[in-house]
Amino acid sequence: MLLQQIINGIMMGSVYALTAMGATLVYGILRILDIANAGAYAVGAYLGWYIYKVTGNLFIAFIFSMILTGLIGVIIQKFIYYPIISKPNIIPIVPLITSVGLFTLTGDLIRLIAGPSVKNYNFKFETDVIKFGKIIIKPEWIFVLLLTAALLALLWYVLNKTKLGLAWKATAIDAEMAKAMGVNINMSMALSYILGYGFAAAAGIMVGILYNSIVPAMGDVPSYKMLAIIVLGGLGNPIGTVVAGLLIGLAETMSAVYIGSFMPRDAIAFIFLIIVLIVKPEGLITKKSA
Amino acid sequence: MSKKLRRILSVLLISIMLLSLFGCGQEPEAEEPDGGDVGEEGAIRIGFFAPVTGPAAADGLSTTNSAELAVDIINEQGGINGRLVELVKYDDGFDTKQAVNIAQKLITKDDVVAVVSGSYSGPTRVSAPIFQEAGMPMLAGYAVHPEVTGAGDFIFSQSFAGAVQGKAAAKVAVEMLEKKRISIIAVDVDFGKELSESFTEYAEARGAEVVSVDKVAMSDLEFTPIITKLKEEIKPDLIYMANYYEHSAEIARQVKKMGLDVPLIGTEGADSFQFLEIAGEDAEGIIITTNMNRDSEDQGTQDFIKNYIERYGIKPDMVGASVYDAFQVLFKVIGDVGTDNEAIKDAIANLTDFETVTGKLIRYASSRNAIKPVQLQIVEDGEFRFYGEIDDEEIIKQ
Repeated sequence: MLLQQIINGIMMGSVYALTAMGATLVYGILRILDIANAGAYAVGAYLGWYIYKVTGNLFIAFIFSMILTGLIGVIIQKFIYYPIISKPNIIPIVPLITSVGLFTLTGDLIRLIAGPSVKNYNFKFETDVIKFGKIIIKPEWIFVLLLTAALLALLWYVLNKTKLGLAWKATAIDAEMAKAMGVNINMSMALSYILGYGFAAAAGIMVGILYNSIVPAMGDVPSYKMLAIIVLGGLGNPIGTVVAGLLIGLAETMSAVYIGSFMPRDAIAFIFLIIVLIVKPEGLITKKSA
Repeated sequence: MSKKLRRILSVLLISIMLLSLFGCGQEPEAEEPDGGDVGEEGAIRIGFFAPVTGPAAADGLSTTNSAELAVDIINEQGGINGRLVELVKYDDGFDTKQAVNIAQKLITKDDVVAVVSGSYSGPTRVSAPIFQEAGMPMLAGYAVHPEVTGAGDFIFSQSFAGAVQGKAAAKVAVEMLEKKRISIIAVDVDFGKELSESFTEYAEARGAEVVSVDKVAMSDLEFTPIITKLKEEIKPDLIYMANYYEHSAEIARQVKKMGLDVPLIGTEGADSFQFLEIAGEDAEGIIITTNMNRDSEDQGTQDFIKNYIERYGIKPDMVGASVYDAFQVLFKVIGDVGTDNEAIKDAIANLTDFETVTGKLIRYASSRNAIKPVQLQIVEDGEFRFYGEIDDEEIIKQ
């Protein structure tokens, strides 16, 4: 049973990693804890659902929902965050409050447009389960792993093999200096929102398929849980986020099975976070290794 | 894009955002009523609140639909003794603080004669003492926590006491299906706690063993670790799902995937078209305890289902039906005794053998919960169908 539970934990962890990746990318460059990324997660899930219902093609749903949600991110960055953070001497809490407001707004907008009832993807995989002896693996889990790997590969490619990526990294290290050296930092910011919100959209669709349900309030738990994951992962470090997501997935699984339900499962991520912050205040992984 | 346009746009976007942010903390305002003529002299005003926004918004919509349907139908029939009914409705956002504000407003400003709660136990139980204090009759549609009606003699519930359902489910598991090793997966709120405790009490008194109880948070949808544990170590012969439709649907799906082939019993919390939509074919054969019998031969029930589907395009669920009933009870007693708060309270307390869309209301118990038979429904071909009815006095007269 232990092996099966480890697999269960890794799968849950990769969903967490995927969900927190969008906010990680935004924090990495703008230093904004963007709660509204959980809004993008819900918006992406709904856009994906509409596109899937119209086209019947999940691949198209993923691609277009990611692009559209990414563009929404760019618009929000340009017209809301940019004017706020470009003010001199802005206190860091202002963009955070802004993002909380945006997040509340998206949840209500989705409810007004799509209605409060559950929507279902009803996507069926070819096989129900894959068995290795007593070990059971659900096909949707393999799908989550492949998707996470593909998105991380895409991220790695953009950051390491393109000029845009180089500009992104320069901006992340020192925006002022990068600007002085002629880097188009607006472009870098736009890129981090396209990627950040696009990733959130992919995670939203994935979770929608996994649990065959999307609701307007689906971003509520990720809105705070992803904070624990990205802080644990060293704030803005994509590899750290993957590691933190996996650790929290494993911790939740093991405590649900071996300790029982003495507290809400969501609390575990935060207990974990507090312990790590006491022992290692800079987070699990600190080296910028995007 | 010009700088000016950019500035205008950003101001616009920020103001929308701030509006939504501050919107959350505002004093509740009653929406314009749909039923009855606004401000007409002599309209009978009935207060209503439900979680139209927030995490329970789907139930808020369902109950608001029912409330409006009930009021519109009575008004089409000419009202109560010639007086139209006006619905004064509020959104509590699934928030207890809002519910307190709403209760105070209904009592002091809205001039209502009685109130119906279309909300969960949380918001309903904080508002109940306020209504009790003010001598305002309140009927809760489906809130099961004992402290709701425990607030006093003005507060009634259309629902069975939670323990009734827990015991009814235990009867199905132990006596009808003859299962001996039962696992419970309960939602970690009042509803799940009460049902799992009363289930355990009844089942263990009859020789079955509750071999595990797992509590899960409202927001948690991943049951694979628990199901793996049940399958490989606990090996139950039945699982009781003391939770709402999202949990029950996920358990149904994940149990099938993990190859744990045991019968599942759910609660009225799963009595929703949304349960059937999420679980799909994995819902087949699941039995739930609820109060609405879709296959009832009662004309009122069939009319309600037909009218509801015609008007809203979706099938009514347990919460909607229960709220509809609360209005039927109020219409009946107001028709009989008028609009005096005290008289309404007494008339509700003395009501007997009243046909509702959730079965015959025998009377209200001393706990002021409705006494009526528990309906057993089973999922067949994607629909809830009649499976049985439990009317043992020992179970239903709590």
